[in-house]
Amino acid sequence: MNTSLRKSVLVGIAGLSLAGTAAGCAPAQTPAAQADTPPAAATAGAAAGAAGYTDGIYSADGNYTSPNGTETVGVKLTLAGGAVSDVQITPHPSNPNTKKFQGEFAGGIKSQIVGKKLDEIKVSKVAGSSLTSGGFNQAVDKIKGDAK
Amino acid sequence: MPHPGWTDFSFDGIGTRWAISTPSPLPGGIRRRILASVADYDAVWSRFRPDSLVAGAARQPGRYELPPGAAALGHLYRTLYRLSGGAMTPLIGGSLEQLGYDAGYSLRPGGPPQPAPPWEKVLDWQGAVLTTRAPVVIDVGAAGKGQLADLLSAELLAAGLDEHFIDASGDLLNAGGEPASGRAAAPVEVALEHPYDPSRAIGVVSLGAGALCASAANRRAWGDGLHHVLDGTTGVPVRTVVASWAMAGTAMVADALATALFFVDGPRLRGEFEFSWLTVYSDGHAEYSADFEGALFT
Repeated sequence: MNTSLRKSVLVGIAGLSLAGTAAGCAPAQTPAAQADTPPAAATAGAAAGAAGYTDGIYSADGNYTSPNGTETVGVKLTLAGGAVSDVQITPHPSNPNTKKFQGEFAGGIKSQIVGKKLDEIKVSKVAGSSLTSGGFNQAVDKIKGDAK
Repeated sequence: MPHPGWTDFSFDGIGTRWAISTPSPLPGGIRRRILASVADYDAVWSRFRPDSLVAGAARQPGRYELPPGAAALGHLYRTLYRLSGGAMTPLIGGSLEQLGYDAGYSLRPGGPPQPAPPWEKVLDWQGAVLTTRAPVVIDVGAAGKGQLADLLSAELLAAGLDEHFIDASGDLLNAGGEPASGRAAAPVEVALEHPYDPSRAIGVVSLGAGALCASAANRRAWGDGLHHVLDGTTGVPVRTVVASWAMAGTAMVADALATALFFVDGPRLRGEFEFSWLTVYSDGHAEYSADFEGALFT
């Protein structure tokens, strides 16, 4: 159920005819959206040229069919220098269950992760991949040495 | 140390480094019991030692009786096997060996990637009894470390040591006081390791009572694009996801779900598990559930 929601929302983005540009923001795993439910209405803050996309803010509402009936999400794209610089998704849920799922989606994507040096952060613990005990690391070191 | 003034009991176990933090030093008897539990777990599940139970199953098919905890582990793996369409499987050991992650750490592929055998064909895991129909290389690396953390926590609770924090080298379990005592576990601020740079973090999250486990392709990696999270249906390392985090009530579930996020997206797993999640994809973008909102640096 959640999966179909996710795909449907991406259909909303693709429906703005900016699929190629917006793909950079789309999850890598998600296959190309099938536009079975095109957006209901689209209003553009600036007109798109024939050769490329004009910078500006574009917004549209997308519909999708959930188990609870037809739902709507608002999608706002900001184009700068021909690339999508911001995507905002506004849930318009009509029932609490949808609100929960849409809320998770709207808050749940970040286009790029940002790193900070660990010594600049005040924490006592780090959650990450396990350190490996001696054998594995020695074997990797040996392979690196052999490769030289 | 998760809290000022606490002390660490550190040791090596099941192929990684552990630290158990407590308000006061653990008595010698407890330490010995902890180390014995670690040794017991290793003796059953390590595919890297010839005398382990799973090493026996790799040599010949048959009926293998596991310790009681294996029932919960089997149930969890079965669920995730179904949800991932066979991509996440305890039968992945042979595929790992094929790529060089074997007992001798050869770290050299023995040939092209090899899919894991289908569960239905070779394995019957009923409760704590395994029945195999062929020699199979079982690897419970995706959930075993978490389960051992839970077992050690239970050991400490049984000894009346309610307050403790277990760090299984990046997989964390924050155990608080008994709810009846009104003492909840004090939250611990935890950095989320950058998948491409272990000296950096991509965010900070507050861990209350429960577990936070991570899975990443960066450390247990060797050779050209080879790392330890393999798709059981192909035997090839997963390339779309580079790191994942899961928070859940137990470390076993959090550990397993962190790996499951390499194969199944968070919302779908949320249909069957109560947990929070964060997945970082190879293009550098991240997706997460509400509990990780605001955790990532901007």
